[in-house]
Amino acid sequence: MKKNSKFSSLYMGIIFFLMYLPVAVVIIFSFNESKLPVRFTGFSLKWYQELLGDSAMIEALGNSLILGVASCLVSAVIGTLGAVGLSRIHWKTKGAMEYISILPLMIPEIILGMVLMAFFYLLNIPFGMLTLLLGHTVFCVPYILMEVKARLAGMDPSLEEAARDLGAGSFRAFRDITLPLIMPAVVSGSLLAFAMSMDDVVISIFVNGPRISTLPVKVYTQLKTGVTPEINALCTLMLAFTIGVLAVYYLAGRLLKGKNRLFSIKKK
Amino acid sequence: MSRTKIKKHSSSVWMILPLYFFTLVFVAGPLIYMVALSFAQPGSGSAVEWNLTLENYKKILDPVYLQTFRESFQLALTSTVIICILGYPFGYFMAKMSESWKKKAMLLLMLPFWINSLIRLYGWIIILQNRGILNHVLKTLGIIDKPLKLLYSYPAIVVGMVYVLLPFMILSVYSSAEKLDWSLVEAARDLGAGKIKAFWTVSFKLTLPGLLSGVILTFIPSMGLFFIADILGGNKIVLVGSLIQEQMTRGSNWPFAAALAVVLMILTSLMIGLYRKITNVKELEGIG
Amino acid sequence: MKKSIVIALCAALLVTASAVPVSADSEKELVLFTWENMFPQEVLDGFEKETGIKIVYSNFDTDETMFEKLSMAKGGDYDIVIADDYIIENVVQEGLAEKLDQSKLTGFENINPLYQGQFYDPDNEYTIPYGAGIPLIVYDPEMVDIEIKGYADLWDPSLEDSIALVANYRVINGITNLMLGKSMNEEDVESIKETGEKLLELAPNVRLIQDDNTQNALLNGEASVGFLYTSQVTAALAEYPELEVVYPEEGLGFGIMGMFIPSQAPNKEAAYQFMDYILQPEVAAQCTDFIGYYSTNKAAEDLVNPDLVVPDSVKKGEIVQNVSAEAEEQYNKNWTEFKAACD
Repeated sequence: MKKNSKFSSLYMGIIFFLMYLPVAVVIIFSFNESKLPVRFTGFSLKWYQELLGDSAMIEALGNSLILGVASCLVSAVIGTLGAVGLSRIHWKTKGAMEYISILPLMIPEIILGMVLMAFFYLLNIPFGMLTLLLGHTVFCVPYILMEVKARLAGMDPSLEEAARDLGAGSFRAFRDITLPLIMPAVVSGSLLAFAMSMDDVVISIFVNGPRISTLPVKVYTQLKTGVTPEINALCTLMLAFTIGVLAVYYLAGRLLKGKNRLFSIKKK
Repeated sequence: MSRTKIKKHSSSVWMILPLYFFTLVFVAGPLIYMVALSFAQPGSGSAVEWNLTLENYKKILDPVYLQTFRESFQLALTSTVIICILGYPFGYFMAKMSESWKKKAMLLLMLPFWINSLIRLYGWIIILQNRGILNHVLKTLGIIDKPLKLLYSYPAIVVGMVYVLLPFMILSVYSSAEKLDWSLVEAARDLGAGKIKAFWTVSFKLTLPGLLSGVILTFIPSMGLFFIADILGGNKIVLVGSLIQEQMTRGSNWPFAAALAVVLMILTSLMIGLYRKITNVKELEGIG
Repeated sequence: MKKSIVIALCAALLVTASAVPVSADSEKELVLFTWENMFPQEVLDGFEKETGIKIVYSNFDTDETMFEKLSMAKGGDYDIVIADDYIIENVVQEGLAEKLDQSKLTGFENINPLYQGQFYDPDNEYTIPYGAGIPLIVYDPEMVDIEIKGYADLWDPSLEDSIALVANYRVINGITNLMLGKSMNEEDVESIKETGEKLLELAPNVRLIQDDNTQNALLNGEASVGFLYTSQVTAALAEYPELEVVYPEEGLGFGIMGMFIPSQAPNKEAAYQFMDYILQPEVAAQCTDFIGYYSTNKAAEDLVNPDLVVPDSVKKGEIVQNVSAEAEEQYNKNWTEFKAACD
């Protein structure tokens, strides 16, 4: 029963194909000679060259990665603990709290960015990485909260209760029983949060400081004069790098596994 | 018994403190400012005068702006329904995969996120345009003889919405289907339930919370994602998001923008509440 | 164990907080605040080499974001800002711009007087123009049967579903005003309503409305007529020189990007040095060629791409200015109705 039919594989294949179609276009146009993404006028590596000379762009990428990981981590902690906590506690405010914490998703970014900026000025927080982190965490928490909550729904609470009855403290019961069970949701929520953080422009522009910039900010503020395929080149390189790392990891894993199998056969 | 219960609850308090603290300070704080702003008056430039007024809300009742809300809702609903239809089976199938394939599928899902959504949408322009790939393929196959005008139309916007938001639905369904006890489904079938009935009575019901969070994570953003209507729709449909954007920028009427945002927020919440009521998943939620 | 989570959280916060580069020596730094890609890298490098001052290039997406950030910082944080004309008027009104000491700028007389004395800075006290734009009509003669001479031709029924427009509501309202023989900055609400009705008649001809990369629609055959910003016209011509450019007979709309020093700029000396550097004809020419806007530097006109020198026939154009709140609101409503009618 727990098997996929031919139909489902075909279905997933088609969806993945459609998902990667525009990605392929992005990659192809990173080698385009023309600045405009209209037609392919000739093969060229000039956007890669330009990218390598553009230290600001690379610095912005670094900032984006640091910010993405940091805001994803902070919101994973807040969101996961919060979702589990909310499922256990019967405070009257809990419904309201949950509602308020997903409100940032309902407010258009430009207005959220603006009020966050005004608010940070009010609190006198210096603008820079810290404000970026706070701003991103505001819209990252809901993703993790929602995912974990959905996973917790209908989960059997008796397991954790049993652990507690056996004397485990709330933290240990959480770490040893609940966390492993909800891990897939924590991971998928964090991935979404990371993706949102890497993609955010509007809020970042409002809450960044004069000396710090993220990749999307660098890209979208080019709109006045037109976005160049340099960004296509950068994205292509990031994809290639990720796939490379994964391939190495996968091959190394297989090699090790193969060895083990050999070993175990011998043992037999 | 009651004593242990009390102990249990109080010992879980530390878990929600970060959420309470963060939400109250960094979410509720700015939001209160936004609501206050919606009752203020626009001054010269983008300045704001703090004379309390309901003018901004009255203005929304103008038919032009009401239509904007209607169109936004229509678009968000259409996209969300299509995303459900496409995304639910995907997430469900994905949960049925073997461990190693699950990991691979997850990776494949997340990889496109390395590329800014805007840049990927430009990719769709290349595919859909007059002299684009799709028209070319259809022409060579002899299905059409004149290129179709695909871009800058309603369907093009929906394609963009579905494309950008589909992973959210897939991941939500996946993470709740992943915990399904497949032996339950099997048991139902052993008891004579057909494939469809077994799915409906067991799997679907148990994955409903995932579907719900997926709907929330797609419906809400689709109300605000105006840049898709801008890039693929040629801005011919006015969405609340772009109206707010325009009011904030060239219009420099922040109080009106804030009022629009407040109304949008309320309407979205109502929609979600209604949806929850219909699907009645409340009983499935939460352990306590 | 609870502690370890708290510690991890604190550590994450600390790491990111410390990742903020602390400006050690603001004397040697110039914070430049404008859109990305407004300067060729050679120009920025050249300035750093000549003066030893490091440029920190900070970006905004819209003029309003800039204005908001600058007013929050009370005119501090940034040393040089480049933004559009109408927002500079607000900046000056709020006292956020520094009165320029012209004795520190050797190249001040190089500026083309056509771009001086404008509404946002009538006595040239605060700004120097960096680039000028004139939205123009561009069309593909192969796909258009009529000869387009002015805005009125855009309403021609033969152009059904084939025009690409920039998404600036004041500019589009403005050209409709010009066509009806009014000022771009018409203030009378009744008259603006009339403009809106005329604008609605344009709707069937509109293929798309977009602010960014509008020229692409003209190049990939989605539209045959474009009403584009200057940098877009330049980009389109570079790709497809056969396009016909029209200076509409009803009159032109102007836009000027100005450069100013915020009132509390941390490093004003460096800011003056930068302005002075940009005013050198060779540097100005490099910048103009790079951004594709019209040259505002008389002395640089022999050095730039001839397409970027405003033809002599163009002696005056009207600039979109800030209007009263009521007029503003009516323009806004016209625009929303127009867009909805385009569908």
